[in-house]
Amino acid sequence: MKRDKKTLSRRQFIGAAAGVAGALMVGPTVLNGWSENMKKLNEADVAYEDLEADVLVIGGGMAGLFAAVKANDAGAKVMIVSKGRLGASGQTPFAKGIFIYDPQKEKVSLDEFVNSVSASAIGTNNAVYTRQMAEHSLARVAELREWGFFDSPLYNNAFSKPIGQRNIPLIERVTITHLIKEKGKIAGAAGFSVDYQKLYFFKAKSVILCTGAGGFKPNGFPICDLTHDGTIMAYDIGAMVTGKEWNDGHAGKAENAAACFDGWGTMFERKPGLTGVEIHHDLGVDMNYVAYKTGNPVNTRGPGMATANVVGGPYRPAEFQRNGPPEREPGPGLAKRAPSGGRGDRRPPRGGDIPKDGGPPPMMGTSVGGSSAGMAIHKSEGLVPINDQCESNIPGLYAAGDALGSYMAGAIYTQVGSSLAGSAVQGAIAGEAAAGYSSRVEKVEISESQRKIIQKEILAPLKRDAGYSPAWVTQTLQGIMIPNFIIYIKKENLMRAALTYVEELRDHHMPMLRASDMHELRLAHETRNMIISAEMKLKASLMRTESRCSHYRLDYPDMDNENWQAWINIYKGEDGNMQLKKQPFGTWPDGSEL
Amino acid sequence: MSIENINGCIGCGTCVATCPTDVIRLNKQTKKAEIKYPADCQICHLCRMYCPVDAITISPEKSIPVIVSWG
Amino acid sequence: MENKLKTYNRIAAVVAFIGLPIFLWTLSDVPSRTFLKDAISLLTLIAFSCMLMQFYLARSNNKLLKVHRMGSVMKWHKAIGYVFVTVLLFHPLLIVVPRYFEAGIEREEAFVRMITTFDNPGIVLGLIAWCLMLILGLTSMLRKQLPITYKTWRIFHGILSIAFIVCASWHVIMLGRHIDMAMTLFMLTAATIGIFLLLRNYFLPTPKNA
Ligand SMILES: Cc1cc2nc3c(=O)[nH]c(=O)nc-3n(C[C@H](O)[C@H](O)[C@H](O)COP(=O)(O)OP(=O)(O)OC[C@H]3O[C@@H](n4cnc5c(N)ncnc54)[C@H](O)[C@@H]3O)c2cc1C
Ligand code: HEM
Ligand code: HEM
Ligand code: SF4
Ligand code: SF4
Repeated sequence: MKRDKKTLSRRQFIGAAAGVAGALMVGPTVLNGWSENMKKLNEADVAYEDLEADVLVIGGGMAGLFAAVKANDAGAKVMIVSKGRLGASGQTPFAKGIFIYDPQKEKVSLDEFVNSVSASAIGTNNAVYTRQMAEHSLARVAELREWGFFDSPLYNNAFSKPIGQRNIPLIERVTITHLIKEKGKIAGAAGFSVDYQKLYFFKAKSVILCTGAGGFKPNGFPICDLTHDGTIMAYDIGAMVTGKEWNDGHAGKAENAAACFDGWGTMFERKPGLTGVEIHHDLGVDMNYVAYKTGNPVNTRGPGMATANVVGGPYRPAEFQRNGPPEREPGPGLAKRAPSGGRGDRRPPRGGDIPKDGGPPPMMGTSVGGSSAGMAIHKSEGLVPINDQCESNIPGLYAAGDALGSYMAGAIYTQVGSSLAGSAVQGAIAGEAAAGYSSRVEKVEISESQRKIIQKEILAPLKRDAGYSPAWVTQTLQGIMIPNFIIYIKKENLMRAALTYVEELRDHHMPMLRASDMHELRLAHETRNMIISAEMKLKASLMRTESRCSHYRLDYPDMDNENWQAWINIYKGEDGNMQLKKQPFGTWPDGSEL
Repeated sequence: MSIENINGCIGCGTCVATCPTDVIRLNKQTKKAEIKYPADCQICHLCRMYCPVDAITISPEKSIPVIVSWG
Repeated sequence: MENKLKTYNRIAAVVAFIGLPIFLWTLSDVPSRTFLKDAISLLTLIAFSCMLMQFYLARSNNKLLKVHRMGSVMKWHKAIGYVFVTVLLFHPLLIVVPRYFEAGIEREEAFVRMITTFDNPGIVLGLIAWCLMLILGLTSMLRKQLPITYKTWRIFHGILSIAFIVCASWHVIMLGRHIDMAMTLFMLTAATIGIFLLLRNYFLPTPKNA
């Protein structure tokens, strides 16, 4: 197998399917599958630290920033913990266009904006969250401007400013693995440091998950640090999650498909800028359909026009058909190729030159699919909100941004730049709501028995004598899930087949993951989260027997408005098994109208 | 292969903190950054952009096989 | 004969202290960067190499003085001294200058982070070397104004040079981007012999010229 440039997804899939997963292991680096644990952990070397706050914000992206600031300003004692660095982890560092709805400047009213988004989303959006995002965007952007957000392509300084001014404690490089519930409500969270053999227990009255989205550590999208951690740990304590059947359809370049930076041209080096109202129906799975039907190279002039020569495929509302050159959220491989071979030795635009349309039309070279495999449309997946306050069904647990299944944009990309704006707006809302909640409740203690269990679960991969390497299990999972004919162009028999393999990984590999250091421990927990996410994705996709927005079933190619004007909520049943149920569009989980 | 080289490093630790996928670590003896887990590099260049002395070189190739949806 | 030898010496000096570092620079397998960055790097290396050469353009190098007049050697010593000390005083700034042309952390921030990374001995040595170099330059420039005898000044200048070159070499070997085995060897050899010549000059009676 050639490095990177080429893929053998189909063969790999069949390889895995035939149980000869070893066939995957050709290439320059042979990933070590099962082996002895070289450096087993000595339990006595593990340190522990207990910390306390009213509101614990997990995640240091756009949502986490505003959650912490606003909870603090509402009077709560706040703490931020993130597995990466503030403003330099998750997806936030790579997003360069932020939407504002400025009523003075826009020709459309707020109502018209919301209606237009709803039309493009074919009912899949939650109009309350759509409106909330637009309504508050101007105020959030003004704050960002004050902090210097628009002055640099790198966000750490701007994010550090308000956090520093408020003396909000910030703990970086600590991965949270567990939410802790006592007596039916949130009591805190727990996780571990990647730098030291150290476990953290956070006691908190409320927790705001700002953990972003995730994927299967795909190649071509800078989301390899995100594995839906928040969603899975919330699911584990009984929260409802949603949106797993939807897909982000970003494609990449065939040449060096894994090079995110190169694929996005100079975008990562730009300073952020603003976008205004411009509603689309974009970046679903049209390209995947064309590739499925006609093979590669995909004969298209861009997303939105993909169906030009191909019959059938994902439905696109008439008013959002494309004619001219596409304007869309930029994507890897779609931006003009920069000449330097990725050493960054070039002069990027310094000013707030807004990457509104992602540069020149796509297809400068051959494409490959699945750049963002495992990720749904931003804000369509995540915790189910029970109201417009970003609150989950677990008392004290809030979520914001990509970690909240708010359906702000619907199950398709409708407004460029609204993802970043939505994270900012929801972060602020959740921060205030969580501060209010924690002022009303008493702190609950974390019981010794729970501590023991959590400690054991966190450290388990370090203590195994032998086991599967997380990297190998991840790659096997990728081979099962990422092929176009599994995750994108869906049909029942293949999804059932894939589910069987995923269940095998869940039951037989997940309990046998090994880790020889804290870095690998993080990989082990991430791998577990990806396996559960894969199960959710397949089950939700099997359940949704229709096609709509970014979910496409080859065996149910039409929209089914009779049965499927509904979102799918996933939760852990009494017996510990995964349960799925519908929640009609336009309602909250309790059945009340939006 | 992804992140390739670190030359002229002053050991400030910025890249270690910055890398979202925890690829780089500081060597306590040499006081220099080391590429510890290259297979996990997502080729995002954040480390390079944050490095005060531009010590990091990154190439667009990935060292482990890349799995995509269609080839 | 004398003229030939002079030319020969000049060529040898250029080859040893400019040619060799350039040659070793091209050999090192450090990835190339932009023209500007590579040019700055090379300039710094050559400047440092010329600092090493200073030890050979002095009275202590009595072999040289057999052929060249002290006056002309000193002319070069002074010229090279002033030019490259100036270049090297700007070297810390030059490291962050390319940041002006590219995205990344701001150059001011980069500079401050660099000169405040005190837990790296390489940086501390660089800072010390920089200060010593500044004193070396200033005391040379203001020699006539200083209330010390020429003899005292020379000893002061010599000892300062040794302290400076030790710190600087150490700094360069610890931090230098292009400093591999060969380059290290070259620098250490040049510095050691240079210092040895000077110390010999101090502690042994000067051999009489023929
Ligand atoms: C290449 C690219 C380009 C984009 N372009 C745009 C654009 O132009 N406009 C736009 O609006 N949107 C864009 N987006 C989308 C946008 O970046 C995201 O929707 C938004 O940044 C999400 O912010 P967030 O704070 O919700 O999550 P994230 O920014 O993903 O932050 C998640 C945070 O949670 C932390 N975390 C995760 N798991 C754990 C854990 N287990 N323990 C502790 N911490 C954890 C992470 O370290 C991170 O700090 C783009 C995305 C990408 C990848
Ligand atoms: C900055 C400009 C400099 C000037 C104007 C200068 C000038 C001089 C002068 C006038 C002498 C006395 C020569 C003699 O009478 O023997 C001298 C000697 C010397 N210089 Fe410099 N110098 C400079 C920089 C340097 C530097 C940077 C170094 C070393 C890196 C250096 C190393 C020496 C040495 C080793 C001697 C011999 C000392 C001795 O004989 O006691 N000089 N210099
Ligand atoms: C304020 C003090 C100084 C600082 C902060 C500093 C910083 C640095 C840094 C960060 C590097 C590594 C980056 C690179 O190689 O591109 C470096 C390299 C180097 N420094 Fe310094 N330095 C200082 C003083 C000096 C002095 C006084 C000298 C020489 C006399 C010197 C000579 C060199 C040389 C020759 C290199 C190697 C360049 C290369 O290999 O390309 N430095 N310095
Ligand atoms: S390019 Fe990105 S993923 Fe790779 S080492 Fe640098 S910061 Fe980490
Ligand atoms: S940021 Fe640059 S100088 Fe600092 S430790 Fe990393 S490589 Fe070294």
